Amino acid sequence: MNVRVRHTTTYLYREPVSICHTEVRLAPREDRSQRILEHKLSISPPPGGTFGHKDYFGNHVLYFSLHEPHQTLTISAESVIELENAEPLEPGLTPPWEEALGDAWLQEEGRGLKAYQYVFESPRITPGPEFADYARPSFPRERPLLEACLDLCHRIHADFRYDQQATTVATSVAEVFKTRRGVCQDFAHFAIAGLRSLGFAARYVSGYLRSPDLVGSQASHAWVAVFCPGFGWLGLDPTNDQLPDGNHITLAYGRDYSDVAPVKGVTLGGGEQVIDVEVLVEPAA
Amino acid sequence: MNPELAHPEERLNRSWPYAPNAGFYDEMVAPDGSLRPYWRPLINPLQEMGERAFALRWQDGRRLIHENGTTYNVYTDPQTTERPWPLDPIPLILDSVEWAQIETAIVQRATLLNAILADLYGPQNLLRDGLLPPELVFPNPAFLRPCCHVPVPSGVYLHLYAADLARSPDGQWWVIADRTQAPSGAGYALENRLVSSRVLPDVFRGAHIHRLATFFETYREALRALAPGRKENPRIVVLTPGPYNETYFEHAFLARYLGYTLVEGGDLTVRDDRVFLKTLGGLLPVDLIVRRQDDTYCDPLELWPESILGVPGLMQAVRSGTVTVANALGSGLVESAAPAGFLPALCAHLLSEELKMPGVATWWCGEPAALSFVSQNLSNLVIKPAFPAAGVPPIFGVRLSEAEKASVLEEIHANPRAFVAQEQVALSTVPVWEDGRLNPRHLVVRVYAVASGGSYSIMPGGLTRVTSSLDHLVTSMQSGGGSKDTWVAGKGPPSQFSLLPSVSPRLDVSRATFDLPSRVADNLFWLGRYVERVEAAMRIARTILPRLFQESDLTAVAGVMTGARILAGLGYARQPLAQTGNSLAALERDVLGLVFDHEGRNLAWNIRQVRRLGWLLRDRISADAWRILNQLEQQLPDTAPPEPFRISAAQAFLDEAISTLAAFAGLAMESMTRGDGWRFLDMGRRIERASQMVELIRHGLGFECEAESGQLEVLLQTADSLITYRSRYLTSMQPDLVLDLLLVDEANPRSVAYQFARLREHVDQLPGGHASIRRSAEVRIAISLLTAVQLAEVRELECTEPDGRRNRLEALLSRLTTELRSLTETLTREYFNQAAPSRQFSVP
Repeated sequence: MNVRVRHTTTYLYREPVSICHTEVRLAPREDRSQRILEHKLSISPPPGGTFGHKDYFGNHVLYFSLHEPHQTLTISAESVIELENAEPLEPGLTPPWEEALGDAWLQEEGRGLKAYQYVFESPRITPGPEFADYARPSFPRERPLLEACLDLCHRIHADFRYDQQATTVATSVAEVFKTRRGVCQDFAHFAIAGLRSLGFAARYVSGYLRSPDLVGSQASHAWVAVFCPGFGWLGLDPTNDQLPDGNHITLAYGRDYSDVAPVKGVTLGGGEQVIDVEVLVEPAA
Repeated sequence: MNPELAHPEERLNRSWPYAPNAGFYDEMVAPDGSLRPYWRPLINPLQEMGERAFALRWQDGRRLIHENGTTYNVYTDPQTTERPWPLDPIPLILDSVEWAQIETAIVQRATLLNAILADLYGPQNLLRDGLLPPELVFPNPAFLRPCCHVPVPSGVYLHLYAADLARSPDGQWWVIADRTQAPSGAGYALENRLVSSRVLPDVFRGAHIHRLATFFETYREALRALAPGRKENPRIVVLTPGPYNETYFEHAFLARYLGYTLVEGGDLTVRDDRVFLKTLGGLLPVDLIVRRQDDTYCDPLELWPESILGVPGLMQAVRSGTVTVANALGSGLVESAAPAGFLPALCAHLLSEELKMPGVATWWCGEPAALSFVSQNLSNLVIKPAFPAAGVPPIFGVRLSEAEKASVLEEIHANPRAFVAQEQVALSTVPVWEDGRLNPRHLVVRVYAVASGGSYSIMPGGLTRVTSSLDHLVTSMQSGGGSKDTWVAGKGPPSQFSLLPSVSPRLDVSRATFDLPSRVADNLFWLGRYVERVEAAMRIARTILPRLFQESDLTAVAGVMTGARILAGLGYARQPLAQTGNSLAALERDVLGLVFDHEGRNLAWNIRQVRRLGWLLRDRISADAWRILNQLEQQLPDTAPPEPFRISAAQAFLDEAISTLAAFAGLAMESMTRGDGWRFLDMGRRIERASQMVELIRHGLGFECEAESGQLEVLLQTADSLITYRSRYLTSMQPDLVLDLLLVDEANPRSVAYQFARLREHVDQLPGGHASIRRSAEVRIAISLLTAVQLAEVRELECTEPDGRRNRLEALLSRLTTELRSLTETLTREYFNQAAPSRQFSVP
């Protein structure tokens, strides 16, 4: 099945911006569950040149700078993606969680070392005993990993309220834990904090939702993946209390939000700014 | 008697008593009390010289440090950020045979650390093969992921490397710290050499000391070779965090010594994927950046968003290979102590060699065995964070109480990966000269290596730092330690007999005239303005002072009143005076306050601005000019002398300081190249002098006065034009003639017209001057100003209204004031770098 994603970010500035340097991560990755059929990015005002590369995590990054004064910046990405309908994984078939702890599989040929970096603290997530204490009840001895993780998602979904007013992009995980409110980014950060505090490798995934019935489908979405030896990365969506099941379109992943922010920029001038983001996901031919 | 035949050690003990502490290795005196032989070339001549002669010479050395303005900044001292550089006159001497071993060990270590960086930012085989725990890399904030797989010319991550060495009681040298980001101190080492070879030139020559200059030549050559595209003459800049950094003096010194432009982050800009220097003449491509700030600060877009010191987009330019950054971004990764324990194995693996100089024993608490060792031996260890963390001081186990130990251990056990423990080396000692005596102090030597032709070259010497007392365990400039020159004693004269090159930049020759960074133009402009403002204030004070005590006839009173009005008009007095005895006392207070009162925006404040701007321009103005600006601040009396001497002290200061300013003006006229730098300095001067003169005329001639000759004389004297006037008109004082001389006469260098004529010439030469057919705003303003005074009719301006005011004059002066202000605004807008700090995009 093919979907078309339109992701438009608009910045409005009160004063002219004389120079801006921007980095965008808006081109979806390819993996075994999705193929990119088309991708185009339009920027207004148009920059002199754009420079692309893959970052440390393998995400597509595009850099550009603007040197003419402007008060509006619009960045539109449009992608057509072919989604594979993957067989849903039976949680009970995953190995006991004890086997998925970081140091158990570091030596695994190929991806072990790459996955290991997701065990540690990252710019936005500092693991700690309080997060471990919260997560531990979901992990009784020998419970299959995915079952335990689903239980964790379930508890987060029950204990935390989805509230777009409660947090900003800068709210810390500790703060989210205290208020128990937030958006998908906060749910994902909190789940990662719990998983890493217990010793699992967990990463942050940014992307989109195909189904309009799910929370977060009108914006870019975020969820979590946990590393399971023998299986690889297993997705978890604490915001919707479910496993990503063919409705989730992956854009990028990293240790936390700071690694995958869709648009980052530094401006000279500009004064007060207003930002508007529109995401539209629709079926494509 | 021939000193060579004497027993130097005996003589040493007699006339230069020195008693090293037992239990430490002493660099100068062997355990049996004898002088180590390679110290003889220093100690024998000192014996000859005697303490008194040495003290005299050292006075000269301190003067040199002072005059060169060698300073470092102390972060914790809000009052004075700079302190004079603490140098001890007795150098540390190292034997050349021993030095050869140090040299090979440091070359090896630099090579090894460079190879480790190349692996960790590339294939990461060391992690895969288990030679280095990933726990030391992945969570380490110094591991900069954007720097992975970016091109690094010739694989050189470390262009300049430094190691801190310490010697234990058994004579063994240990590496106690690595500096791989932006090693500081090489410039101070050079400055120390400059001073010590001046203080002891004869001793220095006789001792055959290895020279430092070649090291800097090698450094320059290495940088040239590693710029992208291997250009013949690449544009190289030194990136400094700015004047408030601890070692800003060194940044300026090295930039000038090496002939590179000193820049701050705001002076550079990235367009597309290329770095440019913002100059008056436009953008000039930069090929190589010698960074003197931590890598995380270098790009707020990709590295650390909070940085206001960086260059947004720099990382992309590096990735595209259009610019080289030295040391490579990310090289701070091997600066932490944590990997030290793994170096022997890494050395064997990467270089197939044994590690030649051991690092001080280090236990990374992330390993269970190390953790249990640390728990049991805390008293003998120093605890440090495993990853670089600014401002976290080491914890000395020996100083902890039992309760403190328990809490430190608890902290370590909570997150063992975050800590390392190091053995505490009993540092060796060396004599320092203190109050005419030699006292032992602990020392650490920082040695430098520069990448050169696929390997490394070592500076034959280094920066020796000594503790502030024998009890101190760390050498730190921040906490009052000192420094020493470091001599590597040679055998026979040095093979490369290169004298220290002069400090003038060598690459300047081919420079275009417009490569002045906008920030520098801004600072030069304001230096010109403040220098002139200070002079104007001093001249008015100097004119008034003697008149306060003259016979009070009507003319004298008119003169004093005029002086008071001008003083008040310029903002240096509370209000114009009524004609009473009391008010004379008030005027005296104001004039003396101008000199002695250092609060508020008065003379002292303006002089401090001069000094501050001079400091910011250290790499741009000559050493002579800097010395003069330094002098100016020193001439300013700290406190007012007792009552009867105040007037004469003030008079003496004013005379002296006006001469000092004349010396600065003379240097600017005679020694500064007529480039853009000089032009902006001079424009600042001219605009300020014109503004001051306009005010002077406004308050001195704005209205008719009874005893006019007293008024006009004060005016002429303040304007330094009395002699010219007298030579033309003898004793006859007429307002129109005075106006002609001070306002219209283009031949009088103090007149308003003269300033405008110079400004007119300057703006024509500015980068925007000829570019377009349309005249630039600054050219139009300058033309308007000059024509306004050229067309002025002094007879008309002199006319008074019935109330005695000269309204036509006032109208002209107001217009001049307004246009002068708008000229400054225009220059600011067009040429100066109004770099507001850059900001991050907000996020939804």
